[in-house]
Amino acid sequence: MIDVIESLAEILNSKDVEWEIYWESGRRGSFKIERETLERSQRKFYSGIGLRVGIDGKMGFSYITGLHHPTSELERFVERTIKLAKVSRVQFKGFPAPSSVPEVRGIYDRKIEEIPFEEAHALALQYAERMRELREKETISGALALEFERYGVVNSNGIEFDGASTYMAVSAYAVRKDRPGNGSFYQSYRSLQGVEVLEEAIRKAKKDAELSAMADKLDPYSGELVLEPEAVSSIVGILVENLYGDEVYYGRSRFSRFGEFVASGSFTLVDDSTLEGLPGSYPFDGEGTPGQRTTLIEKGVLKGFLLDHTYAALLELESTGNAVRSFRTIPSIGPSNLIVEPGEESLEDFEGVVIKNVFGEHTANPVSGDFSLPVALGYVVKNGELHPFKDNMLVGNIFDLLKTAEPGKETRRISSFMSPRVRVDAKIV
Amino acid sequence: MDIERLMRISEELARKHGVEYYEIRLVSFRSTELSMSNGQLKRLSMNSERGIGARAFNGIWGFSSANDVERFEKAIETAMKIAKLSKGDSRIHTGDPVVDDAEIGVKKPFTEVDVEEKLRILEETDSMLLADNIVNRNVYYSDWLVETFYFNSLGSEIRTVVPRIRFGFSVTAKENGEMQQYWKSFGGTLGWEMVEDVDLPHWTSTVVEKAKELLRASSPPSGEFPVIADPELAGLFIHEALGHAVEADLVKNGDSILAGKLGQKIAVDGLTVVDDPTLPGKFGSYIYDDEGIKAKRVEIIRDGVLVNYLNDRETAQYFGLEPNGHGRAQSYAHQPLVRMGNTYVEAGDWSFEEMLEEVKYGLYMIGDKGGQVDTANGTFTFGAREGYIIENGELREMVRDVALSGKILDVLKSIRAIGKDVRIEYPGYCGKGQSVPVDDGGPHILTKALVGGLK
Repeated sequence: MIDVIESLAEILNSKDVEWEIYWESGRRGSFKIERETLERSQRKFYSGIGLRVGIDGKMGFSYITGLHHPTSELERFVERTIKLAKVSRVQFKGFPAPSSVPEVRGIYDRKIEEIPFEEAHALALQYAERMRELREKETISGALALEFERYGVVNSNGIEFDGASTYMAVSAYAVRKDRPGNGSFYQSYRSLQGVEVLEEAIRKAKKDAELSAMADKLDPYSGELVLEPEAVSSIVGILVENLYGDEVYYGRSRFSRFGEFVASGSFTLVDDSTLEGLPGSYPFDGEGTPGQRTTLIEKGVLKGFLLDHTYAALLELESTGNAVRSFRTIPSIGPSNLIVEPGEESLEDFEGVVIKNVFGEHTANPVSGDFSLPVALGYVVKNGELHPFKDNMLVGNIFDLLKTAEPGKETRRISSFMSPRVRVDAKIV
Repeated sequence: MDIERLMRISEELARKHGVEYYEIRLVSFRSTELSMSNGQLKRLSMNSERGIGARAFNGIWGFSSANDVERFEKAIETAMKIAKLSKGDSRIHTGDPVVDDAEIGVKKPFTEVDVEEKLRILEETDSMLLADNIVNRNVYYSDWLVETFYFNSLGSEIRTVVPRIRFGFSVTAKENGEMQQYWKSFGGTLGWEMVEDVDLPHWTSTVVEKAKELLRASSPPSGEFPVIADPELAGLFIHEALGHAVEADLVKNGDSILAGKLGQKIAVDGLTVVDDPTLPGKFGSYIYDDEGIKAKRVEIIRDGVLVNYLNDRETAQYFGLEPNGHGRAQSYAHQPLVRMGNTYVEAGDWSFEEMLEEVKYGLYMIGDKGGQVDTANGTFTFGAREGYIIENGELREMVRDVALSGKILDVLKSIRAIGKDVRIEYPGYCGKGQSVPVDDGGPHILTKALVGGLK
């Protein structure tokens, strides 16, 4: 345990309260390339401690930034949080008890922690260089980010975990100069990637920009179509709020009990924080609950909600280890890695209407399920040839749409979301 | 935090690393946040924080930030080292040094209001939202007071104090398997008086009744229709359809359909669009931007002609424009980007009734439900909280979950009527990698757009 946390725990142990410390210390470096030129470079440092205190069924929370504090300041921090617990009427349902934590591989890469700024900077310059070499009828921009963090949870029940995480994120964005058309690519990793990954990002953004520049508006269409994993991610993003335990508890979710049929018999949705090397993976969550695999929808049947300790207790369920947080906040519920399980039939050679990207998901209504989203890029596939379209709207209701969902066989990963193509019935206007 | 020492160190480090320009923000803030669901207090926090954001320019920006006082000096040096290592060929507007000490004053500072009083307002509001078929009630309140000391290598020294307050509520109604939500929020660079001035009986009953009415509303038709947007939606429309595309950093990066269009007619006669961060009390107001440039009113479109871009130090120089103070950062740990403040459409001369009479078949849409724009392609979308079918100049049945989309250049030229009734009171957050408080509004406007409905 680092010194300041040890001193803080010592002060807390002398008080007659239940307590939990969540601390972080990290560094984020990023590079922004605009039109093939490195324009902005930054390296940021952050650290802090979040403290929750429970007294007589009520909870208080407070935080301080930094990890260098004299004992007197720590004493004041504890007093302030205890005082908040006394005036606050926020329900306190205890903290988790220690249990064994899974080994999650590939979530820390020493090379990212130890990379000198000069080396990261050189990689960004190489990225800009590759953009200059690969550009044709477009301008290319993008970003590169490297992040390293140490964090830990300690509580009065005896939990004492710490961990280290690293991340690398790559984005590329191509805008055509000849006619309106743009394409983008985003991916994130837990280990340092080489220049070939950067090159791939540029090629993918360029390819979408090329299709986008060729695209026209499609005539209205209603019927079977295929969603690329990017579009599936947007649809699942609207659905998933309904699976958060707090939304369920407060009556703001469409769902209330397990066993309901909510999707087609071939649709399975899973949250899994234990997968090797994925951006959403962790051995324990923000309260020290072990990471796990949670089936949310299995073959169309509602099987689980995403839960932290508090809402699990309120709903009389077990925490699924989905407490997301930073030192500045109390835990909130969120997914780790979301996976749409593949089906039997391949959709790679599908002929017909395919939707790649939609946007504006936050305008949809997650409880009624109605959505209408502009199509940034789609294509009609005829005899293996792509005829791109854009500027239409994909309209429907997520709950109806899920009942027609038939996932394909080959899975693709977009950051912490994994899905195959999915065939659905929907409407384009 | 010893400011004088940090100023001296900055100067020495700049000399050592050969940095031509730097600017440093030292920020401290205090915040209170409360939220309640179904009468249960979910969140109560009161916090304070200090941090530093340091930028150095050497033909390219180097940036570093820290929130541990022990690392402040290191953050300054890191920013300078990055700039030195990077060496680019961009240029920025520097200008004369500014020394100022400015506060946005309020009638009743929220820092002097007891947390018990804040909690009492939440409880009172919650109890007013209780009604049949209302399965969820949410009330939230937050306030934060930000004190910034900005200094740069030109000798600028600017201290500002900006208070912000936000209060709002939402409900979910449920009946026969249908679920719908409605909400209202208030916000400003104001004090506790903002909360005291809210007509709670009126707004809580409006929110409850609207959510219940939406349960019986049907999905809108789909296709291209004349659309009347209310002042709130007109604000969202102008934010999405125009505001982002005139952010000079996007324009410079070739990422805006409005690149190269300064001085050109891009909208109908009579359309004037303004961004004004100096409007008193609005949520998107500020005194200086995060690059130490004084906020000012900017006309973006005057009578249909694109006359200006929103800019920062770098893009003002790049486009040869007067700097207009729109470089804003989410926090000390973020670099400023070109952002909007309070964006609105100026009044025209139509009354709402005259506008209605213009429409044979179309939609009247009310309230902001969020939007997004693809500035390079020129396509935008936004949602409305409620809508009504217009038939032969008369309002007919209510419709729910309405989202629109359109092309910037088409829609600006398709505006058929601009109302007289300007309102700018729709606080919200705008996201562009970073989130900043903004406000927007306008009068009722009549245009056309693609409506995505299930019918």
